[in-house]
Amino acid sequence: MIKIEIVKGPITPFPSDDSRTQDGAELIFNGRVRATEHGENITVLEYEQYEGMAETELRNLAENIVKRFPVHDLFCKHRVGKVKVGETSLHVVIWSKHRQEGIDAMSWFIVELKNRIPIWKWAILEDGSRIPSECAH
Amino acid sequence: MIQVKVKCFSQVKYVLGKDEMSLSLEPGTTSAELEELVRNQAQGKLDKVTLRIAVNQKYIPAEIELKNGDEVAFIPPVQGG
Repeated sequence: MIKIEIVKGPITPFPSDDSRTQDGAELIFNGRVRATEHGENITVLEYEQYEGMAETELRNLAENIVKRFPVHDLFCKHRVGKVKVGETSLHVVIWSKHRQEGIDAMSWFIVELKNRIPIWKWAILEDGSRIPSECAH
Repeated sequence: MIQVKVKCFSQVKYVLGKDEMSLSLEPGTTSAELEELVRNQAQGKLDKVTLRIAVNQKYIPAEIELKNGDEVAFIPPVQGG
């Protein structure tokens, strides 16, 4: 199963699931806003999306991952709008029978997300000015 | 003439100063020709920016002829996550 949500406020994590007796691995990734960008202190990352296409592409990517890797479920929430330093902008949970396929799927999913999903971000500095955020790590 | 809606994001929006444009184009205009028009409007400020093109919210793998009512987005490098 796949769940994809693009949210405009703080992310509520998907709950851990003790009923999954066939899944030996539950991987959780939280991408958080760092306090510095290109060596400068920032207060906020402001995310912009292509509404509609971003969610569709994210769903297509998740479906592709579930077909490509032996994982059972992939849930993802991506936040848009202003996200303060320390807050979560991306939350992904993958359940798989064994850990390695889950780890591989998680890595691939995030790499492809950063390559394909029409979402952009600007870093807002302490003085209020904006610089492009180009981190692809 | 055909009417298309151009959606602008990130650097494209910043350079052009707008998030959407409605344009009248000659029938038969292609996606590549529209990209050239948009780049000309940017007066060189998008010359170093790679743009992918989405038509009606789907990436297109190659140049296509645009149709009346199409929504076209020029997608600068994405930065999600």
